[in-house]
Amino acid sequence: MPDSPADCASPADWPFLDRRFVLVTGKGGVGKSTVTALLARLYAQAGKRTLVCELNTQERIPGLFGHDDVGGTVTPIAENLWSVNIDPAQAMEEYGVMKLRFRALYRVVFNNPLVQRLVRFVPGMNDLLMFGKAFNHERETDSAGRPAWDAIIVDAPATGHGISFFRLPRIIRDAVPAGNLHREAEEMWSLMSDPARTVVHLVTLPEELPVRETQELHQRLRHELGVPLGSLFLNMWPPPALDAAQQAHFERLTARPTDPALALLWATTRIRLGREHLASHYLQELEALGLPLVKLPTLYTTDFGPAEVDALARTACTQEPPP
Amino acid sequence: MSRLAEALRTRRLLITAGSGGVGKTTTAAALGVEAARMGRRVAVLTIDPARRLAQAIGLEALTGELRRVEPALFAAAGLEAPGELWAMMLDTKTTGDQMVRRFAPNPQMARRILDNTYYKYFSTSLSGAQEYMAIEQVRALVEEGGFDLVILDTPPAVHAMDFLEAPDRMLDALDSSAIQVLVKSQQVSDNLAGRLIGKGRGLVLRSLDRMTGGPFLEDLGEFLAVFATILDALKHASERLKALLRADDSRFCLVTSPKRSNVDEAMHFQAELAERGFNFEGFIVNRVHMHYPDTGTGPEHDGHLLGELAGLLPELTDGERGALLQGMRRAFSAHNNMADRDGRAIEHLAGAAGEAPVRVPLMPLDVRDLAALHRVGRWLLKA
Repeated sequence: MPDSPADCASPADWPFLDRRFVLVTGKGGVGKSTVTALLARLYAQAGKRTLVCELNTQERIPGLFGHDDVGGTVTPIAENLWSVNIDPAQAMEEYGVMKLRFRALYRVVFNNPLVQRLVRFVPGMNDLLMFGKAFNHERETDSAGRPAWDAIIVDAPATGHGISFFRLPRIIRDAVPAGNLHREAEEMWSLMSDPARTVVHLVTLPEELPVRETQELHQRLRHELGVPLGSLFLNMWPPPALDAAQQAHFERLTARPTDPALALLWATTRIRLGREHLASHYLQELEALGLPLVKLPTLYTTDFGPAEVDALARTACTQEPPP
Repeated sequence: MSRLAEALRTRRLLITAGSGGVGKTTTAAALGVEAARMGRRVAVLTIDPARRLAQAIGLEALTGELRRVEPALFAAAGLEAPGELWAMMLDTKTTGDQMVRRFAPNPQMARRILDNTYYKYFSTSLSGAQEYMAIEQVRALVEEGGFDLVILDTPPAVHAMDFLEAPDRMLDALDSSAIQVLVKSQQVSDNLAGRLIGKGRGLVLRSLDRMTGGPFLEDLGEFLAVFATILDALKHASERLKALLRADDSRFCLVTSPKRSNVDEAMHFQAELAERGFNFEGFIVNRVHMHYPDTGTGPEHDGHLLGELAGLLPELTDGERGALLQGMRRAFSAHNNMADRDGRAIEHLAGAAGEAPVRVPLMPLDVRDLAALHRVGRWLLKA
């Protein structure tokens, strides 16, 4: 891995820089936030005005840039980089005020306890509101009428809910035959399915269950929904601890050595090689999906912060560009 | 006996909860295996939409049906299980349809609900719907399934709270007189449009309509009206489940990875549980890099270590043994770096919880069969 930014190919070489609406998805716990952060880093370094959206979650992104949590307000956290944690209630108020034009009227309607109960009961409502808000950032313009953001990067919900999340605009479009909601959903869907504006990146780990779910997610996103897919990020890739010769020699030690100190070295090496072996097996399965693969090495550092995000961003941009 | 072993022996409902990807489902399955080994009749229920439990317990197609894990599988893994292990995945669509058929006053009404456009979206497509659909099944399994113990695996943290609150939300919405009004007008005239969109409806409904546009509210009214016929039964199930989740012999196990962000989420979740009156059993930290002592492993001990290696691998050259030792030491110190990182997060958790959490080490192999689940189980029950 290169040691300084000067060693790395330019972030400008990242192949999806022209896509403005960037969605990052995968099973929970695979490192979606890490990938979101490194993409944010790449876009921002390439000079793009970038907004990262987290969806009503324990915030991760600002912390990865050494910044405090930002809450529901769009806040600058680094050069060219803003972050927001979208809150469904706030998103609903913004949307309501936009449609009803008067905040007072909105209050009358939405502070009505009966309406609040109704809204809390409708499944999918929160996802729709949060997605709608991210979508509105894509349409947002500055005073001169230019798009306010060069890129919006969304840390999308985990797989199980993720697929519902991606289907939502289509569900609403089909379920609501006419009117405002139908129109909004239609526009959201055309953004989501437009390969000129949107890219969906998948994140996974080299482990059995995440790989199975990625295969399923890939199948559904590509064939059932037809959203434009980008890269497949393989996170926590264990870089080889031993070279081929060392490994062959190590494998001759078939039992735990009796010397206690040597046994310690042996045990940890065995765990590591076991993980590496599993990882290369799953790598092969993932390669069959035909997506450009970005391997993000496990960083065996005692901390994970801005420096580590930087290191991973450099790794990502120096890997083979997709076909 | 460890606390978790005691819980497996005495509780009736254990709920595993936590962030995504921390091994909740594996933990639930491993606890199930151990409970069956103790002689209990146990059911493991997963609500997570992803079908992962099946692979670990050898049920290739884990469906909406309750299925027994074959005793032969235990035998093949060299395990004795005087009890029984059953497993089921809640399938929103099947669960919902069953519920409608069971509770609808007559087959015609059941058909009308099942054919309703909103019902179809509600039961198959929308995130959040499965929580409602699960209510009756979880209740029935716990109350009528004849099990000694039910282990309930929940969706990832943000949504787990959704799940736990589903009975409350359901009761809340059903008590709402707004819905009662929508529903009643529909039942009387069978034409909600006339009632709702006609003159004299309130500012609130008019404004809502302006936001959504089109016939959205009318269609929603129709949905609620047909759904209302099963509401009483569902309301009853909600109330029962609400009580069951808070019962004295129901306990929550919060599962986390040793990643600091997951640990923070788990602690946050515990606070939320306490606030809402749920009983907490303990934290379980999965995939921990256990710290290895470094006594005698440093380069200053090369003479001794190389001597040991020479005894074991006499066929290698000095250079080859030197290179091997270096590689092993690199893996060792990388592992211990991670162990330090994990250890700090776990200490933080222990400090807040007032007791050391249960730890399960990172293993060199995936958990993919009963034997591996039992290896996890042994760590879970370690005193």
